[in-house]
Amino acid sequence: MSNAYLRFWGVRGSYSAPFASHLGVGGNTSCVEIRVDDHVLLCDAGTGIIPFGNEIMRQDRIRELLIILTHYHWDHICGLPFFVPAFMPDWKIHFFGPGHSRKDIEEHVSAQMRAPYFPVGTEMWLANVDYLEPPPPGERLRYGPIEFGFQSVHHPGTTFGYRIRVKDKTILYVSDNECLFLDKSIRQQYGDFSSEEQELLTEMQREEYDSEIRLIQGADILIHDAQYTPDDYKKKRGWGHSCYIDVVNTAIDAGVKELFLYHHDPNYNDEMVQKIYEHALRIIEERNSSLKCHVAREGLVVDLA
Amino acid sequence: MTHPASATIVLIDDSPATQTLFERGTKGLDVELLIFDSASASWEYLQQNRPHLLFLNIKMPGKDGLTFLKELRQLPLHKDTRVVMISSKDYAQDRSVASQLGALEFITKPTPIKAITDVVQKYLNVGFPQ
Repeated sequence: MSNAYLRFWGVRGSYSAPFASHLGVGGNTSCVEIRVDDHVLLCDAGTGIIPFGNEIMRQDRIRELLIILTHYHWDHICGLPFFVPAFMPDWKIHFFGPGHSRKDIEEHVSAQMRAPYFPVGTEMWLANVDYLEPPPPGERLRYGPIEFGFQSVHHPGTTFGYRIRVKDKTILYVSDNECLFLDKSIRQQYGDFSSEEQELLTEMQREEYDSEIRLIQGADILIHDAQYTPDDYKKKRGWGHSCYIDVVNTAIDAGVKELFLYHHDPNYNDEMVQKIYEHALRIIEERNSSLKCHVAREGLVVDLA
Repeated sequence: MTHPASATIVLIDDSPATQTLFERGTKGLDVELLIFDSASASWEYLQQNRPHLLFLNIKMPGKDGLTFLKELRQLPLHKDTRVVMISSKDYAQDRSVASQLGALEFITKPTPIKAITDVVQKYLNVGFPQ
């Protein structure tokens, strides 16, 4: 294996799906490892972080890592109470996520580990744990050879999308984002507005589209929320997740090189995810695009060297 | 001769179309409208000044509106500043957090011009200058 790679440890959204019919894609919730030499960055800490933690305990070289959280919904943090390195005294673990201070981030991370919901709190973690201070707006953070910035995305509560720079490659990790939400709101209500207002609404649609493009532009690798089919999106609009068709089209428009469909709905079995993937390929072909599209699957490794 | 406006309104929103919406929604009202593109751009002003009403978007480049409001509330000057959220994020969690941080209302985009005028008049009781 190369000295720089990305590995998917958890690819489900909402809740884990440990069902035989789903295991080709995987049942664990959000967790992606980015490794450069001995530097480890984990994107999110869903149940996928548990097998990651078990595996990394089998080696004796690495004793430090950074976990960046997109937000604090359960599917993104629920692996932490079972993350073995956190309970080891010779480990050092850094956290970063939404919050106005390091104390704010610590409170969010710690909140799920308390009685009566869990028998021990984060004060029982034996690792040397610290929380990174949020940088001034626009500034990027660095962890060894890995550099990253963040931006708010369209999902309930404060949620980040991360732009990560590794070995001359740009990785966009956008696990939860309801792509072009305002556009759909405006389409639904357009007729209720005056012509003067409609002009402004058209401008707002353009602004939102430009903002979605800027978010992912320049990505060599885009890992993006693609949770719903069009039928399910109709029922679940406003739940904070994207229809995969919007994601594929926006990725094409933005000139993204490789797209990984991610945060799969736990109700979708392997067959359903395959159908989504095949439709995504047809869209790419019909648009005569060079975008490479993949299904994010548990255990999939992408070389970054 | 002009006279000073009776109230100051601040809008923090990166969307030029929303900024125009507010310019039109407050046009003719006895208010001064100050517009900032981001939370950080407004910071210097808000450290020294307390507007009569603050409209705040949530999803913006740089600091998001909810994180910013939490910070703002820690300043004694803004403990009770009247804040109205204006956002496309029509989610229960955003409404709930905004409410916990003392936001008076949550206006969802898209919104008509009259809704802006109505909210300003509701909280500031301002009319059109004679």
